[in-house]
Amino acid sequence: MKTGRARRPLTAWAFLAPYAVAVVLLIAVPALLNVGYAFTDHTGLTRDPQFVGLANIRRLLSDGFLLDSLQASLFHVALAVPVRLLAAVGLGLLLAAPRPGGRLFRAAVYLPTVIPDVALAVLFLWVLNPMYGPLNQLLGLFGHPGYTWLADPTTARIGVVLMLAFPIGEGFIVVLAARRLLDGRLYEAAALEGCGPFGQLRRLTLPLLAPVLVLLAVRDTILTLQVNFVPAYVLTDGRPANATLYLPVYIFDQVFEFSGFAYGSLITIMLMAVTAVIIALQLLMVRRWRVLR
Amino acid sequence: MIGRFVVPALFAALFAAPLWLMVVGSLRPAGLPPPRTFELFPPEPTLAAYARLPRLIPLFTYLANSALVVALAVPLTVLVASLTGFGLRLLTPAARRRVVFGLLVVLLVPVTGVWATRFELFRLAGVVDTYVPLLAPAALAGSPFLVLLYAWSFGGIPDTQLAAARLEGAGWLTVWRRVALPQVRPATMAVAVLAFTFHWSNFIDPLLYLHNGDRYTYPLGLQFLRLLNPTDWPLLMAGCVIATVPCAAVFLLAQRILLNDNPLTALRSGGRR
Repeated sequence: MKTGRARRPLTAWAFLAPYAVAVVLLIAVPALLNVGYAFTDHTGLTRDPQFVGLANIRRLLSDGFLLDSLQASLFHVALAVPVRLLAAVGLGLLLAAPRPGGRLFRAAVYLPTVIPDVALAVLFLWVLNPMYGPLNQLLGLFGHPGYTWLADPTTARIGVVLMLAFPIGEGFIVVLAARRLLDGRLYEAAALEGCGPFGQLRRLTLPLLAPVLVLLAVRDTILTLQVNFVPAYVLTDGRPANATLYLPVYIFDQVFEFSGFAYGSLITIMLMAVTAVIIALQLLMVRRWRVLR
Repeated sequence: MIGRFVVPALFAALFAAPLWLMVVGSLRPAGLPPPRTFELFPPEPTLAAYARLPRLIPLFTYLANSALVVALAVPLTVLVASLTGFGLRLLTPAARRRVVFGLLVVLLVPVTGVWATRFELFRLAGVVDTYVPLLAPAALAGSPFLVLLYAWSFGGIPDTQLAAARLEGAGWLTVWRRVALPQVRPATMAVAVLAFTFHWSNFIDPLLYLHNGDRYTYPLGLQFLRLLNPTDWPLLMAGCVIATVPCAAVFLLAQRILLNDNPLTALRSGGRR
């Protein structure tokens, strides 16, 4: 029995091995290779990249398109993350309680998440069509003239956020599950103390769920910085006036269209740095406001 | 009453709206002047757009390619996720906490961060324009989220049961396959469905790796259709509906578990209900 117990951790690591190998080969090695390629003149077409020192960094510092791209990405994160998080958490808490037909409501909220993202993007090309798109016609019912959605820089960015406000299923399910784990007796006690539904939300639910919410916010920041590739690629292709040339779109253009593999690697590193800074800011805010106790 | 049913129903309607607009858009007759005002239902619904699709693009080739990728990727995802989840189950609590932390870090690595260099590795391996790179996400168990889902479900199996199976002389692989997996069928179902929707919808990887039109998966085909007929809306919406139907159908199988009143309990209630 003793030998069995000593062997058990080893067995566990053996079960973890295939995944670990995949993580090393498909995530860790490529992530590190970025750093190496960033200092070369690699085009992505040949096999012998040459070391060029800081040439790519000099190019980065005087790249006007990159500034546009960075600005577009930051605008997108600042708007999309709060909207998506509010929707996932709000709907998760609203629909967590068991009620007749509860699963039907939840299924409806999850439905846009199962629509393939290209299909959702093509659908939004139709929905946001300025001439006869359903959204402008809906606005027309209220006497509003509507917008030229994808043709104007600001509304194009809002259009992309609008599309990404629908596929929020992952966060929604996490909130549903986390809410069910909370102790019902706490709520009974709070009700006895005369704490109303909003008091319970503010004093019980949100503080108890805080760790999950922080994780969701961080995860969504990263997702939001990348999942805008498909809508931007299908809806606007970076236009108008670079308003939706988000960083992933710019990286894609450099690496796969303009043969600027090495430069693309450098921008990738920058994207990761931007992500890290935003997450660090979020965690600082969490500490400052003592969200986690 | 309002808080319990009316507000949820309004939000449910809002989130069902995209799918509704897609279906309604696909049923409009082609050539009809575009609607002047908001319409909940087309005037003379017709399935003509669906009949035109296979004449304009090799629809069935694309669908077969997608089906092939899914048939390879979903079992691989389930295999890797369940093996890793079972490994987590066997770890000591302290080691498990460290590995879960590691998984959360993996959850935070942006996919775009490895686009270019992963492509370079596959190019040097000579497998660009095959389906091998499309299986990379499956080798990574789809997402650490799915590994954690399995780890939670295996957590419901008592230690004594595993030890008893070992005493009977079963190897750990047999324990995993014969004792553990049959008890977490709902988790397997949920993971398979989530893997299916991911791989069926995957657009970026085929866009990067597939060049030959004969190998296109359906999402790439849909993009091709859009470039071909940018304003034929009934046709495009029909293409979108065809892309969505398999995902929606498969999701209906899993919603009983994932959207249950108690999703975490539903995951563990293998066999017995």
